[in-house]
Amino acid sequence: MTTFRITDGGIAVEMSPEERMFLGDVLPLLAGIGARGSDPAADRLMVPVYLNDPDANEEWWRLMGQDLDAARQADRAVFSKMVTGEAPVVLDLEEADAVLRVLNEVRLALGARLGIEVAADHDELAEESRQVMDYLGWIQEELTVELTRAL
Amino acid sequence: MTTHPAPVIVPGTDEDVDFDKPWQVVVWDDPVNTMSYVVYVFRKLFGYDEAKATKLMLEVHHDGRAIVSDGPREQAEIDCFRLHNHGLWATVEQ
Repeated sequence: MTTFRITDGGIAVEMSPEERMFLGDVLPLLAGIGARGSDPAADRLMVPVYLNDPDANEEWWRLMGQDLDAARQADRAVFSKMVTGEAPVVLDLEEADAVLRVLNEVRLALGARLGIEVAADHDELAEESRQVMDYLGWIQEELTVELTRAL
Repeated sequence: MTTHPAPVIVPGTDEDVDFDKPWQVVVWDDPVNTMSYVVYVFRKLFGYDEAKATKLMLEVHHDGRAIVSDGPREQAEIDCFRLHNHGLWATVEQ
């Protein structure tokens, strides 16, 4: 299992080759997210900011949407570096934060596509889907714990 | 409290705006985000201590939503951006 551990030089990452391959598949999944209205993952990652003011919402997304997308792309580049880099992989805290956001992003995207609308839906997932969500959730939790220690 | 100036709004362009009321950033409950992650994000983005961040997270979890920050509209929109960048569903309201 992937582990994250705070060291003097940052967050040391240990991953098996199989996990690297599996986590590498996260990136094409995120890159393949479609448009709002046609892909639940897009709807979840681009939720309304103003609930009762469509014009203000549209304006926020017009002004901020590109920056948000660019920030997410930058995070994914760090994630890519983690899964393709030579061992031992050590992330600085900003890079580790980027990896944490990507892990969360992919869980949100998958959760939306799998139809998770309330927490109990997780227990109703097909075995394979549940294992994927649990695995990603587990390593996200590992990293959250380490980064919380660094606050 | 914020040191950011209020955004420039041309009078008459939005008659619903009350200039005396602060804008609030609301975080909504989500079935995928974990409790520890939400607490971490509140602590990191807003500098809240663990007790305050946990209280807000539990408010989101139990009540479905919590106001996590307030201030001028521009600051609320920026806070919203930072929360969305961390995958939390945040909205702005007055």
